[in-house]
Amino acid sequence: MTGTKIPVTVLTGFLGSGKTTLLNRILTENHGQRIAVIENEFGEIGIDQALVIEADEEVFEMNNGCICCTVRGDLIRILGNLVKRRDKFDRIVVETTGMADPSPVAQTFFVDDDTKDLFALDGIVTLVDAKHVSLHLDESDECKEQVAFADVIVLNKTDLVSAEELARVETRLRAMNSLARVVRAEHAKVPMDVVLDVGGFDLDRALEKKPTFLEPEYPFEWGGVFELTENVELKLEPGPDPAIDVVVLPAGDEPIEALAERVMRAHQKDPSSVAPDGVVEANGEWRRLVLGEGTCRWRITVPRPGPYALFTQHLPEEFSLELLAQGRALAPLRRRDFAAGHTHDATVSSVGLSATGELRPEALQEWIGKVLREQGTDIFRMKGIVALKGSPTRLVLQGVHMLLDTNQDKPWGDAPRTNDIVFIGRNLDREKLEAGFRGCLA
Amino acid sequence: MSVPELKKRVDVSVEGYVIAAYPVGENVLAATGEGELFLLDGATGRTLERVRAHAGRANAAALSPAGAHVVTCGQDGRARVFDARTLVPHADLPSPSAWVEAATFSPKGDLVAIACGRRVRVFGVDGSPVVESEDHPSTVTALTFGRDGKRLLTAAYGGVCVFSLAERRTIRRFEWKGSLVSLAMSPDDKVVACGSQDGSVHFWRLSTGRDSAMTGYPFKPKSLAWDSASSLLATGGDTKVTVWDFQGKGPEGTAPIQLDAHKGLVSSLAFAERRALLASGGEETAVFLWEPRKSRAPSAFGLTDDVVTSLRFGKGSLVAGSAAGRVTLFEM
Repeated sequence: MTGTKIPVTVLTGFLGSGKTTLLNRILTENHGQRIAVIENEFGEIGIDQALVIEADEEVFEMNNGCICCTVRGDLIRILGNLVKRRDKFDRIVVETTGMADPSPVAQTFFVDDDTKDLFALDGIVTLVDAKHVSLHLDESDECKEQVAFADVIVLNKTDLVSAEELARVETRLRAMNSLARVVRAEHAKVPMDVVLDVGGFDLDRALEKKPTFLEPEYPFEWGGVFELTENVELKLEPGPDPAIDVVVLPAGDEPIEALAERVMRAHQKDPSSVAPDGVVEANGEWRRLVLGEGTCRWRITVPRPGPYALFTQHLPEEFSLELLAQGRALAPLRRRDFAAGHTHDATVSSVGLSATGELRPEALQEWIGKVLREQGTDIFRMKGIVALKGSPTRLVLQGVHMLLDTNQDKPWGDAPRTNDIVFIGRNLDREKLEAGFRGCLA
Repeated sequence: MSVPELKKRVDVSVEGYVIAAYPVGENVLAATGEGELFLLDGATGRTLERVRAHAGRANAAALSPAGAHVVTCGQDGRARVFDARTLVPHADLPSPSAWVEAATFSPKGDLVAIACGRRVRVFGVDGSPVVESEDHPSTVTALTFGRDGKRLLTAAYGGVCVFSLAERRTIRRFEWKGSLVSLAMSPDDKVVACGSQDGSVHFWRLSTGRDSAMTGYPFKPKSLAWDSASSLLATGGDTKVTVWDFQGKGPEGTAPIQLDAHKGLVSSLAFAERRALLASGGEETAVFLWEPRKSRAPSAFGLTDDVVTSLRFGKGSLVAGSAAGRVTLFEM
């Protein structure tokens, strides 16, 4: 992506999710950018200085009725005419109708040469309404696709649901799309750089924002920061599993996300088990708490009083997990749900693959080609950064359905060679993908 | 063999992407994406007239066959007709859609048709409404009148429609499941050619309805041009100019003439009025002259300052427009 291309943000979401509110925010926010809006559903845009263009979502098949070769014909024409203006725009925002499948918009930037030359798809931002999204996800393929396609999911109208419901919804969204950044909002209030500088199709920039964004997934579903003193008990009731992995570490004033990244790097596959009434040190090492009959307790030892983070393999409520100080339950200072490795949504999920070492170029080509040919209609997005045998530079992969873009990226230098690929799609077979991927290792 | 360079008589900026530039009498008319019209002195390049045609911007323009009028297609919900020699406004043509994307005059110059979204409206050149089409299946991207001025041919996603002005309806369809981006009717009214988004050129013979596809273009053939004898069709969609020869049994089953000199994609094509003299402009700023029947090498070249967006032959001249806003008159 060159610096001279005009970035394009795509805004999707069901009717009533707050798209028009967000659009108005984008246009009125004082970011000093000149923005042209291409929209399909006429909302109340009361902006004079912005150029608002009507479009009518003409989806064109490129050849043979293949789902993966649909583009937005109207978008190609409108963007083609916009470049005949002397005053250049800093950014284009494309709003799609509530029931639109985002594929044709994304594919336009992969397939159409004129569009590719002059514009760069920056990211797909999907708005969901916290109160109704669960229902929409259950009933609508379009809603699933919009979530699956997103680089950023704005979980809007958080004021209308309880904290528990919000946590549930967010966990579900993350399980469907592990690559997207989920941002909670009321009245579509989000920081502008979250939606306007996404770098969703520019892995370099995405990596700067979140160095481990391609890590397969967190080995934990929940994290919270508590003020701990000596003598804190961790209490569990029997839950869906006979054991639960936990880790406790000093938190300082670090954000939970940063702690999560650190914990993830240090995650051991098989932590040492601790029976009930045992001890868990706050030393950043994973422990497997093996449950007995009824309520079980462990003692947490801390070197000194202060803020500590607890990460748990499952959601605390699944085991009625509590931290008790003098018999009173502690409330977390801050907390966050993380999408877990296993998905709860049978249809749409993310599969992350990760391995150190190098891949054989021809094997990779053959395997990816086969996966996209056979499952392209079900694969919404694919991103990857891999190390090819004999190549000094990182290879970046970007896919939408069957369309695949590859780019040579910066040199590996002394960095360890690693390979990360994430698929987001319907009916993905994790084992099969994992096996195919491993088969490419040199 | 060195190729001679064309001498520039006029080379001036009109401060906006040139959507069209035409020789008109002794002068040059230019329309810009900014929505302005310029009348330039053909000897000195001095601006004789400058008119704002549209408050918003303009997408396209067309000149009537005899050069009496020019029509501009605005982003302000209308097209406008001007006297091409004076730039005096002549008529306003309201559109049901916000953007007018293409326009064309009838061969006699008495009618003007505009593409507004999925519809086409036909007006008298004085602005009197004549007929409006029904909705096409998708947005009309290009249009042209048949030679008798009684039929209008339109290109859109899904094929070409032939609309009868008298019957006020579509009387024929040539279907192709693809997005057609350009359209050119042979001067003898026998063949309609279209460039398609999928890297092909289609033509339909009106007598039989026979459809032929020439595939394998690396890019969209956005520019097409017929010679006045209707025997050569020049097409873009590549760095080479691909010319199909309709003489004899061709072009089906024959190899096209390929003219290879451009370093960038061919962005503009025009044949001279009388003989088979072809001008091509490229994205790399070069203009070449060719005589495809005689040689595969260019006979002359000229340079502009940006993507060549418009080419039109005049009497002893060739007028080029560029994306950066330059209008150049080359002496022939």
